[in-house]
Amino acid sequence: MDRTSQGCPSRWRDNTALKQQHLPAHRLQLSATKVLSGFFVTGTFCLGVGIILILSAKSTKEIEINYTNICANCAELRENTINFDKECTCSIPFYLPETMQGNVYMYYKLHSFYQNLYRYSLSRSNSQLMGQDIMDVGNCDLFGKTPNGTPICPCGAIANSMFNDTIILSYNLNSSIHIKVPMLSSGITWWTDKFIKYQNPNSNHLPSAFAGTAKPPFWPRAVYELDEEDVENNGLVNDDFIVWMRTAAFPTFKKLYRRLRRIQYFTEGLPAGNYSFNITYNFPVTRYHGEKSVVLSTLTWSGGRSLFLGLAYTVTGTVTWLASFVMMAIYLARKERMTVFPQQ
Amino acid sequence: MEREPAAAEGRAHPGGRRRRRRRRRRRRREGRTRTVRSNLLPPPGAQDPKDARLCGAAQPLADNRLKTTKYTLLSFLPKNLFEQFHRLANVYFVFIALLNFVPAVNAFQPGLALAPVLFILAVTAFKDLWEDYSRHRSDHEINHLGCLVFSREEKRFVNRFWKEIRVGDFVRLRCNEIIPADVLLLSSSDPDGLCHIETANLDGETNLKRRRVVRGFSELVSEFNPLAFTSVIECEKPNNDLSRFRGCIMHSNGKKAGLHKENLLLRGCTIRNTEAVVGIVIYAGHETKALLNNSGPRYKRSKLERQMNCDVLWCVLLLVCMSLFSAVGHGLWVQRYQGKKALFDVPEGNGSSLSPVTAAVYAFLTMIIVLQVLIPISLYVSIEIVKVCQVHLIHQDVELYDEETDTPLQCRALNITEDLGQVQYIFSDKTGTLTENKMLFRRCTVSGVEYAHDANAQRLATYQEADSDSEEAAPRGSSLPQRGSIGSQQSARLAPGTHGTKSHRRSGSRAEAKRASVLSKHTAFSSPMEKDITPDPKLFAKVRECNRSLAVAKHQGHPLVPLSPELADVFDFFIALTVCNTVVVTCPDQPRQKVRVRLELKSPVKTLEDFLRRFSPSRLTSSCSSVGSLTAGRSTHQLGSGLLSALSSDSALLGLQERPAPAIATATGGCCSRGEEDGWAPERAREPEAEPQPRPELRYEAESPDEAALVYAARAYSCTLVHRLHDQVAVELPHLGRLTFDILHTLGFDSVRKRMSVVIRHPLTDEIHVYTKGADSAIMDLLTTCSSDDARGRHQKKIRSQTQHYLNVYAVEGLRTLCIAKRVLSQEEYARWLQGHLEAESSVDNREELLFQSAIRLETNLHLLGATGIEDRLQDGVPETIAKLRQAGLQIWVLTGDKQETAMNIAYACKLLDHGEEVITLNAESQEACAALLDQCLCYVQAGGPHGSLEKAPGRSGPNVSVGFSPLFTPSETATSGPGPGPSLVIDGRSLAYALEKSLEDKFLFLAKRCRSVLCCRSTPLQKSMVVKLVRTKLKAMTLAIGDGANDVSMIQVADVGVGISGQEGMQAVMASDFAVPRFRHLERLLMVHGHWCYSRLANMVLYFFYKNTMFVGLLFWFQFHCGFSASAMIDQWYLIFFNLLFSSLPQLVTGVLDRDVPDHVLLTQPQLYRSGQSMEEYRPRTFWINMADAAFQSLVCFLLPYLAYYDTDADVFTWGTPVTTIALLTFLLHLGIETKTWTWLNWTTCGFSALLFFTVAFVYNASCATCYPPSNPYWTMQTLVGDPIFYLICLITPVTALLPRLFVRALQGSLFPTQLQLARQLAQRSPKKLSAPGGPRQGFPRPEPEPDPSSERSCLSTAGSGPQDCASRGSWFSLRPPSSPEVTSEEPGAVNISVPLREGLSGHPPGTCVPRQAALERCPEDSKRKLSHSGRATPLSIFSLPNLRSLRWLSPLSLVSGLGSVLHFSRSGLQMDKQEAEFLPSPPQPDQDLVA
Repeated sequence: MDRTSQGCPSRWRDNTALKQQHLPAHRLQLSATKVLSGFFVTGTFCLGVGIILILSAKSTKEIEINYTNICANCAELRENTINFDKECTCSIPFYLPETMQGNVYMYYKLHSFYQNLYRYSLSRSNSQLMGQDIMDVGNCDLFGKTPNGTPICPCGAIANSMFNDTIILSYNLNSSIHIKVPMLSSGITWWTDKFIKYQNPNSNHLPSAFAGTAKPPFWPRAVYELDEEDVENNGLVNDDFIVWMRTAAFPTFKKLYRRLRRIQYFTEGLPAGNYSFNITYNFPVTRYHGEKSVVLSTLTWSGGRSLFLGLAYTVTGTVTWLASFVMMAIYLARKERMTVFPQQ
Repeated sequence: MEREPAAAEGRAHPGGRRRRRRRRRRRRREGRTRTVRSNLLPPPGAQDPKDARLCGAAQPLADNRLKTTKYTLLSFLPKNLFEQFHRLANVYFVFIALLNFVPAVNAFQPGLALAPVLFILAVTAFKDLWEDYSRHRSDHEINHLGCLVFSREEKRFVNRFWKEIRVGDFVRLRCNEIIPADVLLLSSSDPDGLCHIETANLDGETNLKRRRVVRGFSELVSEFNPLAFTSVIECEKPNNDLSRFRGCIMHSNGKKAGLHKENLLLRGCTIRNTEAVVGIVIYAGHETKALLNNSGPRYKRSKLERQMNCDVLWCVLLLVCMSLFSAVGHGLWVQRYQGKKALFDVPEGNGSSLSPVTAAVYAFLTMIIVLQVLIPISLYVSIEIVKVCQVHLIHQDVELYDEETDTPLQCRALNITEDLGQVQYIFSDKTGTLTENKMLFRRCTVSGVEYAHDANAQRLATYQEADSDSEEAAPRGSSLPQRGSIGSQQSARLAPGTHGTKSHRRSGSRAEAKRASVLSKHTAFSSPMEKDITPDPKLFAKVRECNRSLAVAKHQGHPLVPLSPELADVFDFFIALTVCNTVVVTCPDQPRQKVRVRLELKSPVKTLEDFLRRFSPSRLTSSCSSVGSLTAGRSTHQLGSGLLSALSSDSALLGLQERPAPAIATATGGCCSRGEEDGWAPERAREPEAEPQPRPELRYEAESPDEAALVYAARAYSCTLVHRLHDQVAVELPHLGRLTFDILHTLGFDSVRKRMSVVIRHPLTDEIHVYTKGADSAIMDLLTTCSSDDARGRHQKKIRSQTQHYLNVYAVEGLRTLCIAKRVLSQEEYARWLQGHLEAESSVDNREELLFQSAIRLETNLHLLGATGIEDRLQDGVPETIAKLRQAGLQIWVLTGDKQETAMNIAYACKLLDHGEEVITLNAESQEACAALLDQCLCYVQAGGPHGSLEKAPGRSGPNVSVGFSPLFTPSETATSGPGPGPSLVIDGRSLAYALEKSLEDKFLFLAKRCRSVLCCRSTPLQKSMVVKLVRTKLKAMTLAIGDGANDVSMIQVADVGVGISGQEGMQAVMASDFAVPRFRHLERLLMVHGHWCYSRLANMVLYFFYKNTMFVGLLFWFQFHCGFSASAMIDQWYLIFFNLLFSSLPQLVTGVLDRDVPDHVLLTQPQLYRSGQSMEEYRPRTFWINMADAAFQSLVCFLLPYLAYYDTDADVFTWGTPVTTIALLTFLLHLGIETKTWTWLNWTTCGFSALLFFTVAFVYNASCATCYPPSNPYWTMQTLVGDPIFYLICLITPVTALLPRLFVRALQGSLFPTQLQLARQLAQRSPKKLSAPGGPRQGFPRPEPEPDPSSERSCLSTAGSGPQDCASRGSWFSLRPPSSPEVTSEEPGAVNISVPLREGLSGHPPGTCVPRQAALERCPEDSKRKLSHSGRATPLSIFSLPNLRSLRWLSPLSLVSGLGSVLHFSRSGLQMDKQEAEFLPSPPQPDQDLVA
C-alpha cells in the first residue's frame, strides 16, 4: 500500500475548504431588520429617482399633430395606388404657446405600422446597403428584382416602404411673413450607420454607381436622387433613408426627421407663435387604418417627454415603502412569537 | 500493478454489454455446453495443423483480447452520434436546429442555430472519446501482459501476450502471477495438486482460496505434458456465476471425471503460495467470469430527475401552447391586413400575400424555433456537471473516510446523489452492517458447564474503552498480568505469539492497531482484540489437566485415553475448534508464505519410507487432489485389501488400481512412519524451539471470521493450530507436543446444512472422528437420541438441556452461537459411508444433491461437546445513527438471516427496538395462519394500542401459530404516556414468505407501514429483495438498502439506492451498490448532510432552470403581441442562442454544486430537517407551478417596463431588445442571489463573471460586424446604449420591481411562517461561526494521542491540529465542548451531539419540541455534560438497568412464540441473574463509580 511521506493513509482526503465544503460564505438571511432597512432604502432611492425623472420629463416640451385626418383629401387620394404620381400638399397651422428651448427635434410618427414584422424586417440586403455589392438582393424576395430581372437598389420591403412625406415647418411671424424654419437633416442618424453600415458604392458619380439597378417600385425617384438640396446626402447614405431602415421596435413609433438649425430667430429654440407644417402627403397609411403624426419635441438627459420611467420609479418606491410598512406591522404584531427554534 | 487489470476491467460498458447480449443470444442457439479440446491436437477431422488453427478460429469462442472500447477510429463519429441521439433532448434540439434550414420558417441563421447543439454534441463526444481512449490504453496494457503459453512448434512454454491466448491453450503460471483467463487447473507444483489463489481483484477478499488439480491429472507421475493431453472438456457456457462451475472431462479412454469450481482458476486472481501451475484455458477474454461479472457503472434515474422530466413535458406543452397562440394570432393578424396593401406587407414571390393559414403554420414553426429556449439545451448538461461535482465532493468528504480501514466513501452511481436526500425506508442487513462482523470469542459451554470468561469480557470492555479514549487504560492492566501468568504456564512455544500481541497492545488503541494491520494489509483478522482471548481459568485448568493426563498416558504407552467424560469432551471440544475449519495458517513476516512449506523443508527426512512418502511420485498418487481418492488410499492402509476390493469399482481409485505396488508401499511405510511423524515423540514436539530464530507469530486466515475466532480461542487454551495441509492438520498442545491429524474429509459449510464437518483420524486413538460445527438448530436435531434409562443417557440429556439453556442465554445476549459435536465412526461405518460419498463426489449430474445426502448420512448421531458464543460487536455509533435516522423520519427495517433472538437483541442494542415499546411478533407456520395473524395485528394496530381484543389470538390460531404482544407498560401507563410511536414488528423468514404472497402482501405492508421498525429474521437474500421491491413498488417510497455481504446483493440492486459497506466480507455488495461506505455510521452523514444538500441543490437548480427559461421565453412571447405575432424577436439571436449556454449558466452551476442551505452541523443535530427532502418540499408540482407563475410575472415586468419606457421613442428593435436582455440577465442573477443560501467567493466571482461576460460579448459582437447575421444587425448598439442614461435607469428599476414580490414573500414567510429549514438557517446563523474557518486550525477529532510513539500514525496525527492535513478532524461541532473536562473528552465524540436529542426523543416528546440544543448546552453546561457522559458512555447501562424486567416480560410472550418457549420460560429466573452479572452487548457495563469519578 502506498502511503504518502507523512504516513497518512493513501486514500486520505484533501482537507481544503473547497473540497470539504467549508468555504467561508455569506448567508443571505432575511431577518426583519435587514429586510425592512433594505426595503426602506430601496423605496427611498426609487422615490427620489422617480421624482427627479418626472420633473425632468415635465421640463420638456412636445407638440404632436396627427395629420392623417387633417389631410383627409390627400389621404383619400393616396388610398388608390393609381394616383401615385399626383402630388398632394397640405398645410397644418398650429400655435406654439411657449418657446421650445434648446434643441428641437422634428419626428414623424406612424401608428400601426409593423416595422418589426419578422418577414418585413428580414427583407433587406445588408451587403447592398454597405455598398459592397449593390447587385446583391439577398433576402429581398419580391422586392429584390423588377419583373424584368433588374436588381432593385435598395432592395427589400423596408426600403420600398420608406416614409416619403416631406414636412416643412414654417414660422408664421405674422400673416404675411412665413419663415421656413431652418432644419438640418444631417446628424439625425447614428454615426456608425452613416459611415459604416451604409455606404455608397465606390464611385465619384453616384448615378453611374447605381447603374444597372432599378429604384424600388414605390419610390418616385432613384436612390441617388433622394436629396435634391444636398448632393452628399444621396444614395444609400441618405439620412432619411438610414433612419427609416433602422426598424422600429413597436408598431407605433416615431422617427427623427429633422432637427432645428439654431440660427437667426431660432438660436434659443423655437419661439412661441404661429407655425404651420407644410406637408407633401405621399405616404399612404389609411389603407391599413394607420395614422401618422408629426412631432416637435425637445429632449433632456432622460429622454423625451415620456413620464413613464419616472412614474415607474415612483410607484416602485411607493410600493416598496408600503410593503415595508406592512411587514413592520406584522413584525410588531407577532414579535414575541418569532425567532425561537424550533417552534411547533 | 496487481489491481490494474481489475480496474481496467471495471470499466466495462454498455457496448460490451450489447456485445455480450448478442453473444448470449448466440449461445442459446448453440446449446448449453461448450466443448474445449487442446489446441495442440489437430481437431477431429482435420489433419493439417494449419487447418486446425483455422478451425479453432472458426469456433465462436472469444479470444483473450480485452476490448472494452466502444469505438474504432472509423466508427467513432457515426456510433457516437447514434448513441447521443438516443437521448430525446438531443434529437429535439437537432430537429429545431434543422428546422432553421427551411427558409419559410427559419428564425435564426441556420449555422448559428446549429452551433449550440453541435457544441453540446461535441463536448459529449469529446468526453466519450477521451474515456474510450483511456480504456483503450489500459486495454492495451493488459493485452500486452506476458504469459507462458505452450507452443506446439517449439514444444515448450513460450512467452506470449495475454491477448494471444485462446481457448484450449495451455498456460503456465508462476507464483504471484495474475491469471490471464479462466483456466482449468491441470497440474501444480504442489505435491498435493493444490494451488492457492487470492481473489482480491475479483471480490476484494484477501484470504487464500484453494484450488485443486482436476481429478485424474494429479495422479500423473511425470511432469504434465500438454502434448499428451487428449481429453475433451465439456463445460457450461460462459456465465457470470463466480461461485459455480460445472463440467466434465472426458479422457481418451472414455473415462469421465467431473469438474467443479475447485478446478477453475479465474481471470484476475493471483496465484499464491504455489510455484507453478499449468492449466488449459476454458474461457477467455470477455467470456471469463470476471469480465462477465463486470456490468460497469449503473445508470439509474433519480426520482427528482423523473419528476423533472415530467415538468419538461409540461414545458413542451407550454411551448406548443405559446406557439399555437402565436400562430392563431398571426393568422388573425394577417387576415386583418389582408388585401389592405399595407406597406409593411411582404408578399410572396408571386406577388400575392400569404394566406392567413399558411402564415399561421409558418409562424407556428418559427415560434417553436424562437421559443426553443424553453426546453433548455443546457439543462441536461448542467445537471450532469452538477452531479459529477457533487459526487466528487461527497468523495472528498473527510468525515466519510474511515481511517481504520483506509477506505473512503465511493460513489459508484453518478446520477442518483439527490435520491439520498429523499430516502424514506432503509433496509439494513445486520451482520457486518450494523455489527462489525468481527467475531470475538466471548464464552463457551462445554459438556453442559458454562464458562463465562469474565476476564475475557473485561478485556473486551477495556478494548471498548480503548476505542474511546485510546489510553492504556488501567483496567486492562488487570487482564494483562493474568494473561501473562497464564502464558508463563503455557508451553514456551506460545511465548512469541504472546509477545507479538503484547507489542500490539502497547501500540495503543484498537484503531491504531487496525491501521497497522492496514499497513500489513494481508489479513483481515488481525486486531489484537480478536486474537487475544483471555481464557477462563476454570476451563483452562481443565484443559491443562486433560493435556497432562493424556501426555502421561502417552508416555506410559496407553493409546486409549483414560479421561473422564467431561475432560474428554473438553479435549475434543478444543480439538474440534482447532481442526474443524478451513483456516489457512500463514506467517505475517512472509506474507502468503505458508508455514508448512518451511517446516516441511526443514524437518529432516528420517526414513526411507518417509522419503518415499514425501518425494516419490507415489505420493502424488496416494494423496491426490481429491479427498475421495486420498481417503480411499488411506483407508486401504487400515482396512486391508478386502475393503480395497469393495471400493475398487470406484473410478476415483483408478490410480490405485493401476499402480497397486507403490500404494501398498506407502501403506506400509505410512504405518511405520506415522508413529514418528504424528507427533508422538516429545522431543519432536520441542523441535521448533531448537530453531535458531523465534517462530514468528502465526496468522490465521479464514473465510469466515467465526472460524478464525474459534481458532484463536483454542490457541488461548494453548491448543494451537500450527499448520494445515489439505490432508493434515498439526495442532500443538502443551504437554503432548504436536499432534498431526489426518483429515480424511472436509464437508464444507453451506447455508442449507448450516454446519460443516471434518472427518479425521485421531492420532492418539486411531479412531475416526467426525467433528461437526454448526448452528444450534442444525446440530441439536442431529444428536444421538439418548435413552433416559441409563445414567449415561440421563447425563447426556442433562448436558443437552443445559447447553440449550446456555445457547438461549447467549442468543439473548446477542451472541452468535455455534454448537460443536463429534461422532466416532467405526471403520466399517466409515467405509460404508465413504463408498456412498465417493459415488456422490464423482457423479456428474445431480452432484450437489448427492453430496448433500451424503453429508446428512455422516452428520447424524452426534455427540454434543459444547457450544460457543461469539460476539459480533456493534459498529461504532450504530445506535446513535439509527436514532438519528429515525428522527429524520426514516423507517428502518432490518432484514437478517440470523435467528430471531439474536436479531432482536442486536435490534435492542442498536436501539432499533425500544424496551419502552410493544413488539408484534409474527411467527406463522401456514399461509392461513399468517393471514389470520395479519388481520389480527392490523385490527390491533388500528385500535391503536394494546387494549385491543387480541389476547385470544394465540388460542384461536392454534398451536402452530402464535402472536405475542408485549405491552411493556401496563395499560394505565400507556394511557398516561399517550400514544406511542407505534409498535415494532418482528417477523421470521417463514412467515415472511407467507406474508409476501400476493394475497397477503398488501396487509403485510399496511401493517408494516404502521410499525415503527420492522425486523425480518431468518430471511433469505431473495426475500430481502422481495421485501424491498414490495415497499418500493407498493408504497411508492424511496428505498435504501444497505448491506455488506453477497447475500445483500439482490436487495441492494432492487432498492432505489443501494449502499454497500466496504467492510470485511468481500466486495460483492460494494460491486452491486451505488454508494459504498466504510461504516454504517457514515450513512448518517451521507443521507442527512450530503443527501439533503444534493437534493436541495439540485431541486433548486432545476427549479431555477425552469424559471430562467420560462422567464426568458416569456419576454419573447409578450413581444409577439407587438409584432403581429410574426415570431420576430427583439433579442438578438446570438444572445438568444448563447444566453443559456454562456451568460447565465455558470452562477447556477456554482450554486448547484456548492450551496449549503443549512450547514452540516445543524443538519446533523436536527435530523428532522431531513424530512423536507422526503416530502419533496423543495421541488414538487406546487413549487414548480409557483415558480412558473413567478417567472411569468417577472417576464411581464421585464417586458413591460422597458416597453413603456421606450414606447413612443425612436428606438429600434435591437436598441430596445438589448436592454431587455441585460435586464433579464440582471434579474436572473439577482433571483439566483435570493435563492442562494451561501455566498462564497465563488458565487460572487461567477456572478460577476457572467455579467462581465455578457457585456464583453455584447461589446465585441456589436463592434465586430456591421452586416452579419441578419435579421439582427446590432452594430454598435451596446456602445450607443451605454451612453444613454435611460439604459441604466431601466436596468436598475426593472430587476428590483420584478423581484420585489418574491423578496417580499420570502421575507414575510421566512419570519412569519418559517419552514424548518429556514429556522435551521437562523439557528446556524446564531450559532458560533466555528465552521467557516477554512483550513484553519480546526479542533481535531478528540481522540487523544497515545503515549508518545514515533509511529507513522503519529506523524499524521501531529499534523492534524495545524491545518489541511488534519487527519483526525471531525465535525467541529464537537469543538464546542470544553476540552478541559476530562469527563467529556473521554467520550466517544459521536455520542455528544446525538445523545441529547436522542434522549429527548425517547422520553416521549415529539421531535422538535425542545429548546434549541445549542442553547441547552450553553445554558447548563454542567447538566448537559453529565447527561452527555451518561448517555454517551453508558447507554447500555441505562438499557438494562431500567427496563431489564420489562425486557423479561417481553420475553415471556416470545417464549410462547418461538418454540424455545419452555426453555426460555423455565430459565427466566436464571436468565435474570445472568443478565445482571453479564454485560450487555455493545459495551460492557461500566462500573457506576466510573461515571461518578
